[in-house]
Amino acid sequence: MTGYALEVRDLRVTLSGKRILDGVSFRCPEATVTAVMGPSGTGKSTMLRAINRLLDLNPEAIVEGDILIHGRSVWEMEPYEVRRRATMVFQDPNPFPHMSIYDNVAVGPRLHGLARSKRELDEIVRWALERAMLWDEVKDRLGDPPSKLSGGQRQRLSLARALAVKPEILLLDEPTANVDPVNAVKIEEAIRSLVREEGITVVFVTHMPSQAVRVSDYLVFLYDGHVVEQGPSREVALNPSNPLTEKFFRGEL
Amino acid sequence: MNGGPLSRLLRRVRGVRSRDDERFLLLHLPASLTLLLVILAMLGVFIAYSIPVISREGFHVFTDTTWRAVEGDPQAEWYGLLPAIYGSVYTSLIAVLIAAPLSVSLAVALEELTPRRLRGSLSLLTDLMAATPTIIYGLWGLAFLAPHMYPILSWLSSHASWIPLFSKHPSSGYTIATAGVLLAVMSTPFAAAVIREAYSMIPLSIREAAYSLGATRLEVIRILLGMVKPSIVAGLALAFARAVGETVAVSLVIGNSMTITPSVTDSGVTVSSLIASQFGNAGFYHYMTSALFAGGLVIFAIGLAVNVAAVWYMKKWEEKVMGVAP
Repeated sequence: MTGYALEVRDLRVTLSGKRILDGVSFRCPEATVTAVMGPSGTGKSTMLRAINRLLDLNPEAIVEGDILIHGRSVWEMEPYEVRRRATMVFQDPNPFPHMSIYDNVAVGPRLHGLARSKRELDEIVRWALERAMLWDEVKDRLGDPPSKLSGGQRQRLSLARALAVKPEILLLDEPTANVDPVNAVKIEEAIRSLVREEGITVVFVTHMPSQAVRVSDYLVFLYDGHVVEQGPSREVALNPSNPLTEKFFRGEL
Repeated sequence: MNGGPLSRLLRRVRGVRSRDDERFLLLHLPASLTLLLVILAMLGVFIAYSIPVISREGFHVFTDTTWRAVEGDPQAEWYGLLPAIYGSVYTSLIAVLIAAPLSVSLAVALEELTPRRLRGSLSLLTDLMAATPTIIYGLWGLAFLAPHMYPILSWLSSHASWIPLFSKHPSSGYTIATAGVLLAVMSTPFAAAVIREAYSMIPLSIREAAYSLGATRLEVIRILLGMVKPSIVAGLALAFARAVGETVAVSLVIGNSMTITPSVTDSGVTVSSLIASQFGNAGFYHYMTSALFAGGLVIFAIGLAVNVAAVWYMKKWEEKVMGVAP
């Protein structure tokens, strides 16, 4: 064991012949939030998809370098195991439209046989919805389709769905970008308490410097496929050592 | 036109606000009304031609099993369509039951499992299958499928005759089962095209969500298929409609005997194949033409019922998923 929940070592990704990530390395200590920030188009989302091997699905993608989850290389695991241990929440809320609220959360545990009885499954669903701060709003209508929820509620449902498979790592791809401010705050709160109380390790991709500082323990500043600067959030925010980071914080990038 | 009586009339139609709208309406209304009128006229002809047999036999023409054609003695003629109606529904159900797994698999295979380079040519092939005239299938069924089905069906009827489906020992390969299989082969490309279209429209984000829960490829396919359920139903309704309406191909392989039997190893008849095989000499009899038109009415009704049921199902599904109050 290395003490790190996630280690990314010299990650290089090429998509359709274009180099997107060029030697990205960083480490996430267990039960912390690492914010990966940077302007749009610097490869943040691609990096998340490389970590959980979603890029395997894209025949145009070439991924090099190593990614370790609790010390074990993702290349030694089956892709679906990697994805269960490091689940992802996407920029747009994407619950399965044809499944009820309950089933959306239950689908993961069912796939992985995490519950031995209906009661256990109920408990997991409730736990995940509570953790995503959605339980109180939906507990009386778990059979409703997600279309009856607001956009922000749907995003929290997506979060609950990702939590229900009991991941070690949560990969968040700008989860509040398309959500109203109230819901954004709720999601940030949910993330903080997940880390504090459940020991989950979070990689939080965002293009908003203020949010990055607010939610994270560590910051990784990605620019044009490179890590320009990284370190504890306060240090990086107060004393950026790279002029690019400074510009980004001033909103000039 | 402005302010004239015609204009005033046209503007009572919802959404007509300008001269352009009026012209658009004037141009398109006749075309769409013509189509509607043609359909009504067809229905009218079928009802009119059915009247002689219905007024003589009453509702029995649909429920009776006797088919008695007597030349020169109209009083001795008697036509019961039930075996044909039964055969139409039975063969089409068999076809849909076979086509359901086939078309879903074909759609998934083309979308998920076929390498990109091959996808184009393979989908062209299935489109070609859909576009092939049915008489070609009929001849294939006659020359190849029926003779090859025969040993299989006789084996089934001698080893599993306790199952009503195989209770009758086949005298040839021209059976209900052969017709069902042939209809399945013919209608699968249609159903598959509808399912595939819907499947390919599933947003990447939903697919990624399924994968990122740690689902295997097959599990992802299962989740995504749940999303296109209405299209599966629509595709199968289309397959059923095609099967019920198929005429010559069926009459070539079904054996054309007016019987009602649960045994798929027996020969049978469908309304469409009955019309095809009997219409040529129906003129020699007094009531047969009328009886065949009454059969046509039944096909109309079955087609309508299946379509209404499919639309109803899709509406229900939409209400459930989209959360629209009924």
